[in-house]
Amino acid sequence: MHIERPKQTPSQSFQKKMKATMSESSELKSSKTKPGVNRGLSILDFILRLAAIVGTLGSAIAMGTTNQTLPFVTQFIQFRAEYNDIPMFTFFVVANAIVSGYLVLSLPFSIFHILRNRAHGTRVLLVFLDGGMMALLTSGASAAAAIVYLAHKGNAKTNWLAVCQQFNSFCERISGSLIGSFAAIILFLVMIFLSGVALSHRRR
Amino acid sequence: MKNSNDSTVIDVPLTTGSSKSKAAASVASRQANAGGMKRGLGVFDFVLRLGALGAALAAAATMGTSDETLPFFTQFFQFEASYEDLPTFQFFLIAMGIIAGYMALSVPFSIVCIVRPAAVGIRLVLFILDTVALTFATSAAAAAAAMVYLAHSGNSNTNWLAICDQFEDFCQNISGAVVGSFVAVLLIMFLVLLSAFAIRNTH
Repeated sequence: MHIERPKQTPSQSFQKKMKATMSESSELKSSKTKPGVNRGLSILDFILRLAAIVGTLGSAIAMGTTNQTLPFVTQFIQFRAEYNDIPMFTFFVVANAIVSGYLVLSLPFSIFHILRNRAHGTRVLLVFLDGGMMALLTSGASAAAAIVYLAHKGNAKTNWLAVCQQFNSFCERISGSLIGSFAAIILFLVMIFLSGVALSHRRR
Repeated sequence: MKNSNDSTVIDVPLTTGSSKSKAAASVASRQANAGGMKRGLGVFDFVLRLGALGAALAAAATMGTSDETLPFFTQFFQFEASYEDLPTFQFFLIAMGIIAGYMALSVPFSIVCIVRPAAVGIRLVLFILDTVALTFATSAAAAAAAMVYLAHSGNSNTNWLAICDQFEDFCQNISGAVVGSFVAVLLIMFLVLLSAFAIRNTH
């Protein structure tokens, strides 16, 4: 066919398609930015996972080793406060322990995502598990926070006395142990964002 | 000139055009299949959003109308209980209201995702906001659940009495509200999973 049409256009687009398929097959070539963005997100995810492990483990240990015995003793009862006097604190410790165990187990997946950029299936699975674990952590931390608020302020209408008036160091300890947990919740949020961005990233 | 001559000599222009059109057709059909699945996911997303809206609204309404006044009264005051007595329940009510409002506002965006299956930016924004909503809803539901558990069981170590023994209707109402909010949390969790699945770039 000898028609006077610009021969550049179909051959040029054909060569472009060839180049595109070649660059898809070899992930190390082509522009440095596109696979680099996913890799950077995966590395950041790994670092955040390490920080979240520290946060949840610290919270669990801080709450779990909390007890205070008041210096005076009556004939019948000793004034002692422990974390497992209140079931919400037990739930808090258990939830933090479970989440820190999950984070440790998910580190290999995170490393796998650094090495393979296009592992979509495991990324979706990790998002799902991260979401579930974040919900567990949030529920434990919120329940404990509600009880800590009650321990600080009490409630006049329901005649619940503020326990913190008597047990000072117990109160300080349980309040402080919430911080690590809430920090880990924020880290989980950021991790899920990063996974979502990495999933939706389109390489041209 | 030679280059273009070579590229048209290797394959006769007609076959070049037809192979290119075949490649384009296969890419288009693959995209159409992916678009159909994304459209189905979008419909499911829309339904889940409506469900979460209903659950959050029901939880907020049940908590808000949970006042109870006991039929007996002393000379000085009347025994009444409402959600305003506990700040945790106030937080619960406000949080469920915000979640219900967010679900209502995100329904148009979800419809846009159904109509245009290839819209990635909107899906990403909805995914991020859904995750934030999940955290918020879980936090409110768990704090209210802790209070409801305390109201049911009391705590002997801290001398906190179980108020449910006196205020039975109030207790039933707040328990129902907490159950409704946990249903909303479950639905939002499914939403997040669905969005993560729909958001992925299938190339």
